[in-house]
Amino acid sequence: MNSVNGTAALKRGVWGGLLLLMVLFPVCQGGAVAAEARDTLIVGMELAYPPFEMTDVKGEPTGVSVDLAHALGKALGKKIVIQNMAFDGLIPSLKTGKIDLIISSMTATAERAKSIDFSDPYLQTGLCLLVNKESPIQTIADLDRPGRKVAVKKGTTGHTYAAGHIKRAEVLVLDKEAAAVLEVVQGKADAFIYDQMSTYQNWQRNQKTTRALLTPFQQESWAVGLRKGNDALKNQINGFLRDFRARGGFDQLGNRYLKEQKQQFKRLGYPFFL
Amino acid sequence: MQLDLTDIHKRFDGQSALDGVTLRLADFHSLALLGPSGGGKSTLLRIIAGLETPDSGSVEINGVPLVFSDEQLLQHRRTIGTVFQAFNLFPHLSALENITLPLEKVHGYSRDEAVAYACQLLSRFQLQAHAGKKPAQLSGGQQQRVAIARAIAVKPRFLLFDEPTSALDPEMTAEVLDIIAELRHEGRDLILVTHEMGFARQVADQCLFLAEGRLVEAGPAARLFEAPEQPAVRNFLARVLRY
Amino acid sequence: MKQQLMQYFFAQRKGSGEAISLPARLIGVLTVFLLVALVFTFAFSRLQYGWHWGEVYTYQRKFLQGWLVTLFISAAALVLSLIIGLFFALAQRCRFLPLRYLGKFYVETIRGTPLLVQILVFFYVVADAFGVGNRYAVGVLTLALFAGAYISEIIRAGIESVGESQLESARAIGLTQRQIYCYVVFPQVVRRVLPPLTGQFASLIKDSSLLSIIAVSEFTLNAQEVNSYTFSTLESYLPLAFGYLLLTLPISLLSRYLEQRYHYAT
Repeated sequence: MNSVNGTAALKRGVWGGLLLLMVLFPVCQGGAVAAEARDTLIVGMELAYPPFEMTDVKGEPTGVSVDLAHALGKALGKKIVIQNMAFDGLIPSLKTGKIDLIISSMTATAERAKSIDFSDPYLQTGLCLLVNKESPIQTIADLDRPGRKVAVKKGTTGHTYAAGHIKRAEVLVLDKEAAAVLEVVQGKADAFIYDQMSTYQNWQRNQKTTRALLTPFQQESWAVGLRKGNDALKNQINGFLRDFRARGGFDQLGNRYLKEQKQQFKRLGYPFFL
Repeated sequence: MQLDLTDIHKRFDGQSALDGVTLRLADFHSLALLGPSGGGKSTLLRIIAGLETPDSGSVEINGVPLVFSDEQLLQHRRTIGTVFQAFNLFPHLSALENITLPLEKVHGYSRDEAVAYACQLLSRFQLQAHAGKKPAQLSGGQQQRVAIARAIAVKPRFLLFDEPTSALDPEMTAEVLDIIAELRHEGRDLILVTHEMGFARQVADQCLFLAEGRLVEAGPAARLFEAPEQPAVRNFLARVLRY
Repeated sequence: MKQQLMQYFFAQRKGSGEAISLPARLIGVLTVFLLVALVFTFAFSRLQYGWHWGEVYTYQRKFLQGWLVTLFISAAALVLSLIIGLFFALAQRCRFLPLRYLGKFYVETIRGTPLLVQILVFFYVVADAFGVGNRYAVGVLTLALFAGAYISEIIRAGIESVGESQLESARAIGLTQRQIYCYVVFPQVVRRVLPPLTGQFASLIKDSSLLSIIAVSEFTLNAQEVNSYTFSTLESYLPLAFGYLLLTLPISLLSRYLEQRYHYAT
């Protein structure tokens, strides 16, 4: 009688132990191994930002940043894997080791530099306004008045600017660029603070309901993001960027993806930096 | 009381429950409806209670015809007391409140009057200790006794009982039957559907035997039980009284 | 010896129910707590995550404001949804057919589509067509319509669960239809639907987090914003979870209490 109970208890113990292992095992994986040691680099970007980060008709990542990433991989002799995720999830993912680099048209700000490292900048742009046609706004100063509504996309420098500088107007934080544009189009927001390129594109698509103030009121530069303490990798990336520009790589990207914008900006007299 | 039924027909979903029942009872105090299940006893009782409308035929009680309009039936139901086999009481109200509800809302008693009178009735049935309990906390027999208290509280012209003890065990059955007998001896008029043959024989003046929706035999209780004329009645009684 | 040990970890049978001693309860709760803490500590230690609670703490006002907005939106939506739910529950039992079919249409469409889709459609399409711009009002209304569909089904089931025999009994004592509804049906319906209704309130509180997508400044959006400013994901979202629990736990306890209080054999 006792031996029967004994084996039953032993069985239970074994199952319990296995179950515990099963629960703990996945947790053990995914340690933050040094990026240089491996030969794959996972690059995070939000594929919702044409023509820099987007997907083609087959659903494959494509765009300026994608090509840049692959060129980088070639130069460093590493395989590149593109990881799509929400923009405001990029830095947390980088910090926890889910991705190794951020190439997502991300502005290098002092605030962000507290958490991660940035390469040298590779593109100059600035914050602009997409304004609703009915709204009387002409400058960023007009925007910060009671009764006005400002749309921003969560986690972007536009959001940070609004949090720091917009005190009297209502700030609407949306999580998708398309939603923010819709707010402006429908007149629910007076303006959308976003980068120059996208503002231009959004205006082009909604000419009946919006207008664009394309002189940037805050200059910004984009850079590649990487984890702190990876100086070796940072130097490699900076080296690559210098070479790439010298070879005319950026010009090629500009012609391939931004030809129309290049011409339009030239016509309108805005500086085009890529 | 006096009861006149003329050619009552009632069908449910194509089934015939009452098939031309005609009856004239001139003067009685208690009437028992007997017969096999599904014979039409409950249906007839419900028609007399004003809960069901016959497809055709007429009913006269104490010389007054029963008018089958919603308004008139509502008034009719307010003057009589009905006790069903089960689920008489409302589960969210206490025993006391179950009795005061019709008194207050239908018969216009004030709250105090209703409570006083209800307590009186509960005492009569030795239920005063259970006044505050909900039906779920009472035994089957106690529930039925509260239901009877409620039925007589409204000072009805007559009482109707539809198999009041069929869902009870023998001891509780006796409890409830005692009360019905008591009411009978007080001189109240009542019509009773029951399977308790012994009780029916003791308490009823007149008896009806219904089978398959038809009136098979009617007459004084004593005669029906001792010397039934119809073979159906004889066979039924023989079967039922065997044990 | 073994029997005694069993007593501290297993619920003992007692008659047809259970008997759990106080030490057993304490040991059980503690064990679960330790196990969960163990799993999480192990996970975090592996992650080499740098905690920055200080930064997040400077945004405490944002958390509090968001929490209050969530509370008020949920409360407003609940009251409105009760009215809507009651209306459509009765409408579906109504004899006027167009109203009855409208009720069925409403319930089926709302229950058959995701809340996220409803929020987007109501705010960006319907409200825009009617020129209503206030996102808080539209948000509350959308939540109320959403919960109202579920509530109307709860109420309808409650009404139908009042036994036929009770209605018969009520007729027999001479109550009018109106009186039957007032004194017999509704008191019982209220008692029966209170537990599932409180559960619905808890769901409403959680569902209100979806209003963040139309930039309603409620709890979740505020926590997400703090996350964007500080890049401290866990320090932003753990208080978020805790804040919601603070709202929903009392409600689920209330729901359980009501269930026990109004449980009686019918």
